[in-house]
Amino acid sequence: MTALVALERVGFTYPGAARAALSDVSLELAAGEVLVVTGETGAGASTLLLVATGFAPRVVGGRLTGGRHIAARRCGVVFARPWTQLTGLCSTVQDEIAFGPASYGLPRQAVLDAAARAMRELRVEHLAGREPSQLSGGELQRVVVAAALALDPEVLALDDPAAELDPEAADALYDVLPAIAASGKAVVVATPDLERAARVATRAVKVEGGRIATSGAPAAVLEGTEPSLLARAAGCPPPWPLDVPALVGRVRR
Amino acid sequence: MTGCNVRVTAVRFAYGEREALRGIDLAIGAGERVALVGPNGAGKTTLTRLLVALRRPTAGRVTVGDWDVATRRPDEMARRVGYVFQHADQQLFARTVADDVAFGPRCLGRGRAGVAAVLDELGLGDAGDLHPYDVPAPARKLVALAGVLAMEPAVLILDEPTAGLDRVQRSRVVAALGRRAEAGVTVLAVSHDLGFVAEAADRIVAMREGRIAADLDARELLYDRAALGGLGLRPPAVVEVSDALGLAGRPVRFAEAVEAMRGITWREQISE
Repeated sequence: MTALVALERVGFTYPGAARAALSDVSLELAAGEVLVVTGETGAGASTLLLVATGFAPRVVGGRLTGGRHIAARRCGVVFARPWTQLTGLCSTVQDEIAFGPASYGLPRQAVLDAAARAMRELRVEHLAGREPSQLSGGELQRVVVAAALALDPEVLALDDPAAELDPEAADALYDVLPAIAASGKAVVVATPDLERAARVATRAVKVEGGRIATSGAPAAVLEGTEPSLLARAAGCPPPWPLDVPALVGRVRR
Repeated sequence: MTGCNVRVTAVRFAYGEREALRGIDLAIGAGERVALVGPNGAGKTTLTRLLVALRRPTAGRVTVGDWDVATRRPDEMARRVGYVFQHADQQLFARTVADDVAFGPRCLGRGRAGVAAVLDELGLGDAGDLHPYDVPAPARKLVALAGVLAMEPAVLILDEPTAGLDRVQRSRVVAALGRRAEAGVTVLAVSHDLGFVAEAADRIVAMREGRIAADLDARELLYDRAALGGLGLRPPAVVEVSDALGLAGRPVRFAEAVEAMRGITWREQISE
């Protein structure tokens, strides 16, 4: 499979920062995969998303070192704070979601179709006529993801996309990610929500202090799920079970 | 710091034509730790904004202690009720984290007393000299929380305080709220994170479509799968594990579950 994004020993430093936010990061992103990036707050997961999608340094400034090749024709990023991403120009959710495809100069019907498809996928059709600034935090987060998806990006990067969603909406959002990946896109998600991440990840990376600490199969990387921590604290020998059924399976009756 | 009762009586609120709150009655006692849960758009944030006079109800009455909120301005309310916004970036403005946290106590004439202790309590001890926007986005919520705690309000309202926080940060928030509640401070936290709710609250008020759909003891609701399902909620992992293993005492908190799991015999991993 050809890589949509390839990073080769990449480093990145934000403008004015004394220390590098990323160091010596090598990573490939391929169509069809859901890559989960995890790490403690400040470890560099969000920065990795920005670098992998080309937003850093192009939009945020700063200095990039090492080799980066982005073959994807379009990358979409959804930031952790969704309100920063609204155009401020649209008075309805439908217009907001259609803004991206419209700005690419697509024919009117193609724009409407793209918006309708994205709204359907994120289950926000019922919000189509609402004013974006009047949405609740969780509604807004789904609308912003739909707006990114409407651009039909080959790489879709999501920074903690369910942070403000209620559990049903969060599950629903994570549930659509495998289908998005299967349609030929690479999906990369930075999140501390290891339970949901473990459900959808095809691969996982853990960052610590701006470096990739571990990478590989989700079960090997996402070891900090609540069931695994419970099992560990209660004396279960490793490897610790990632989810509840696995934990129950390890108990000798 | 002593707490205050919060009382909401027959409150309604509309954004233009759209009714967001359709008759809310709620009484919270001093020192209670209450979580407000419910789907996006249920009216949770709107309700909390009425408690600090950022919005005025279209009908009904809100009181905090002996204050009728209708007669108070938001800046007066801030002396009694500390509020951490869902998007805490909106409430940070100083040039350094320490200055931001000190703003509230300085306005109250207390100088910078307590600022360093609150920063340490939330694990921000090394961040005091940083610009708030040089702190990772989720941790800015902790900066806003520190600013509110430094004012020593009688009531604490937090809107999604743990969104994006890692496990260590989340446990610091739980501990900080627990200490305040023990001192009599009334705590009301809006949250989708039922793991956090289980650790930090004793009572859960669930909202749906602008109404209160349930108001229950936290342990009772967290073990009531049908009621949770009806609210679009799933039990947190600790409760799922405890339920599946039939642990004694219905644990809802991590430490309780670990305690109840003592004596379990574990199998080695069976290779697939």
